Amino acid sequence: MFVFLGLIFRFGPLLFGLGFIAPLTAQVIERAGWSLPYAITPLMAGLGIGGVLGLAAQLRGRWI
Amino acid sequence: MNAPVSLKSLSEADLMKLEREIARQHIDKFPYFAVAWAFANLAVWLSLWPLVFTGVLPLWAGFLIASFNVAACYLPSHEAQHDIIARPGTKLRWLNQLVGHLSTIPLVLPYRVARLTHLEHHAHANDPALDPDHSTHASGPLQAIWKSIQNRQPGAKGGEASYGETLQRIGRQEVMLDAAIYSLVFYGTLFGLAWSGHAIEAALLWWLPRHVGMTYIQYYLSWAPHHPATDKGRYRDTRSFRSIFGNICSMGMQYHIVHHLHPRIPLYRTPKAYWQMRDILEARGCRLEGL
Repeated sequence: MFVFLGLIFRFGPLLFGLGFIAPLTAQVIERAGWSLPYAITPLMAGLGIGGVLGLAAQLRGRWI
Repeated sequence: MNAPVSLKSLSEADLMKLEREIARQHIDKFPYFAVAWAFANLAVWLSLWPLVFTGVLPLWAGFLIASFNVAACYLPSHEAQHDIIARPGTKLRWLNQLVGHLSTIPLVLPYRVARLTHLEHHAHANDPALDPDHSTHASGPLQAIWKSIQNRQPGAKGGEASYGETLQRIGRQEVMLDAAIYSLVFYGTLFGLAWSGHAIEAALLWWLPRHVGMTYIQYYLSWAPHHPATDKGRYRDTRSFRSIFGNICSMGMQYHIVHHLHPRIPLYRTPKAYWQMRDILEARGCRLEGL
C-alpha cells in the first residue's frame, strides 16, 4: 500500500501531465475550435503536450 | 508615536500584567462570524459546481468566486487550530473540530497537518531550521509571490515538504497520511473530471483557484506579518503593518502581532486588542510599522 502510494507521488508530475494537462489541453483545443495539422486529434496533441511538460517537470523537479 | 513615559518606566512584570489584563477582555469570546463564515464559504464553493455545470453561472464568474472561496477558507480553520471556537473537553468542542476539518477542504489542507505545523510556527517563528513557514520569507512583495509559487514545485524543499519535515521532527509522521489521502482525493477528482470531459471546469473551479488562494494566504498570513523575518522572540518575531488593501482584504493580518502574543484572541477582536495594547507594545520595542 505505502509502496504504491510512494510510487504515485514519486511520479506525480508525469501523472499530472498525462492525467490532467493532456485532457485539459485537448478540451481547450476543442472549445477554441482550433484545427490541427497532419490529422492530429486534440487528444493526441494533449497527450503530447501533457506528456512532455510532465516529463520535463519530473526530471527538473519544477514546472516553472 | 512613542510609548508614554509612564509605561516605559514600568517593570517587565508590570507590563506583562497590563498586557494580560487587556488580552483577558478578548479571550473566550465565541467567534460567531468565523463559524458562519466556515460553513457559508464551503457551501458557496460546493454550489459553484452544479451552478457552472448546469450553465446557471458562467465559468469565469465561477473561477473568481472559487478563488475568493479558497483564499477565505483558511482563517476559520485557524481559529479552530487555536481552540478559539471551543477548548478541549467543552460542550462545543465538536464544532471547533468540525470547522477545522471542513473549512480547508477547498485548499486541500488537512486540519491535523495545518494545526500541528502552525503550532510549531508559533513556537519557532522566524527560526530558519524550525519554523515550518520560514520558506515563505522573501525580500519583497513580488519575491514573496514568486517564492510561494516556487515552494509548490515538485522538487521544492519549502512549503509542503517543510511541513512533512516538521511532522517527522515532532514525531507525528502518521499525520502525513492525512496529507497523502487529501492529495489522492484532490488529484483523483481532477483526473476523473478531466477524463470525463470537464477538465476546464476542474481547472477553473479548483486547481487554479487553489494556487491563487494559496499564494494570497501565504502572502498575507505568512510573509507580510513576519517580514523581514530576521528577528526572533515574543515581541520581535512579528509586526503590525498597514496594508494598502485595508484590514479585511489583508485577512486581518495588520494586527497579527496580537495573535502571536495571545493566540486565543479571536481574529475579529485583534484590532481592538491591538489599539488597547499599542502603548505597551511600543514600550516593549515591538515593530509597529505605520499602524
